[in-house]
Amino acid sequence: METATHMLRTGRRGPLFEFQMAMRDLRNSVERLGLAWSLAWHDIVSRYRGSILGPFWITLSMGLMVLGIGFLYSRLLNIPLAELMPYVALGIVFFGVINGVVNEGCETFVNAAGILSQTSLPMFTFVWRTVLRNLINLGHHVVIVVAVLLWFGTWQQADPALALVGLLFLVLNVSWMSMLAGIASARFRDIPQIVQSVMQFAFFMTPVFWQASKFGDKHVFLTVNPFFHMLEAVRAPLLGAPVDALSYTVLSVMALAGWAVTFSIFAVTRRRIVHYL
Amino acid sequence: MDAKSLKKHLANITVGGRLGEHHGSTDVTALQGLNLELKAGDRLGLIGHNGSGKTTLLRALSGAYEPDEGQVEVRGRIAALLDLGLGIDSTATGYDNIRLRGRISGMSSKEIDERMDEIAEFTGLGPFLAMPVKTYSAGMQARMAFAAATAVECDVLLMDEWIAVGDADFQKLAHKRLLKLVEHAGILVLASHDTELLRRYCNKVMRLEGGVASPVTDIRKMDELLAA
Repeated sequence: METATHMLRTGRRGPLFEFQMAMRDLRNSVERLGLAWSLAWHDIVSRYRGSILGPFWITLSMGLMVLGIGFLYSRLLNIPLAELMPYVALGIVFFGVINGVVNEGCETFVNAAGILSQTSLPMFTFVWRTVLRNLINLGHHVVIVVAVLLWFGTWQQADPALALVGLLFLVLNVSWMSMLAGIASARFRDIPQIVQSVMQFAFFMTPVFWQASKFGDKHVFLTVNPFFHMLEAVRAPLLGAPVDALSYTVLSVMALAGWAVTFSIFAVTRRRIVHYL
Repeated sequence: MDAKSLKKHLANITVGGRLGEHHGSTDVTALQGLNLELKAGDRLGLIGHNGSGKTTLLRALSGAYEPDEGQVEVRGRIAALLDLGLGIDSTATGYDNIRLRGRISGMSSKEIDERMDEIAEFTGLGPFLAMPVKTYSAGMQARMAFAAATAVECDVLLMDEWIAVGDADFQKLAHKRLLKLVEHAGILVLASHDTELLRRYCNKVMRLEGGVASPVTDIRKMDELLAA
């Protein structure tokens, strides 16, 4: 039995105590990562039950988008296909992860209302559920990445290890955004609409399918775009390009600051979230 | 006392917890000043009007709701049978649903696999367990949900109304299984409006009214408690 054999729930005892309880929630969720994984896996299986291609449908539509945008923009902007296509492919696949985790984050707690209102499962479990679900999806979309890198021969310069480090940075950042969106959406039901608009806007404003170098890598417009750095940290190594140290700095600072803010908000609202639902 | 506060006052004594104003928004104090200690062997019945706080108390005991003041401490494994439909995914098969429910109620995959045969046998659904739950009749679905929910081993069992599901035959089986679970668990907390039911399964009773609890009383004195 994984169930806590000793449960203690108390009234507010000051900020430090609330913080400790939030930490306990986090610890419990990490101990039960298997549960988050089971729930995430179930989500995927359940969403695509009865479908032959399953999550590969998304992969397929992403693949088409990559092909379409790749061809179109390589002609429009006069960029060799072999240069733009891998760039666009990686951009769309990994922006898909960012987009998915943040957007679905809005429903993290709302969808778990039934479970949260009658069990003592940690709330973080449901955050991990959202993150893991999107990583499982990514596992399918990797097909596109591999195909494009092989076709255009980019794989020879690729540094997968560094890309994994980049992915770690991406997940670290995107997960606090997801959780923040989850808490805010539980309380204010307008948030999902806002988040959706922001993410769509971000898709066009971030160098997902247009090249950052053409715009000027160092332009302040890109420097302040968090999604640009997340994307760069994963994409550049796979294209054999160096990652700007600035990106790692921004990602580290943003992860620390973002988690500090999100965790504090969680510590304050933790006992209330279930009542928002 | 003006008309509004009179209305509020009346509302307080009939149903629901206490309503209060707080920074311009209304909040509900569902339970207040409740003191309760249960030991192994205690079977507590909760009785009270709609909205008197029975379910809120059960949810607080399950660990889902945190008290704003005071504390709830439970030693032992808790099983809350508050909603049999918890986690049911109608497009998934019976087996998948049993697994999911087991995971949510704290069992490991291994434990579920070990108990699966027993659970499957109890549902009496046979080959239907490999079919999606949406193909089940309401009764079949209830059987599956009941079997999955009661597969847990616990020390503290929380129930919102005594669960009775399925046809006559299954009800007998379900009743036996539930009794076994209650016996195995040291503590039962059962909320119900049915005084006969409480008399049958509980040895103690507590009455809730507008979020305020009576002292825990021997079940034999329930009539006096209700008359009070």
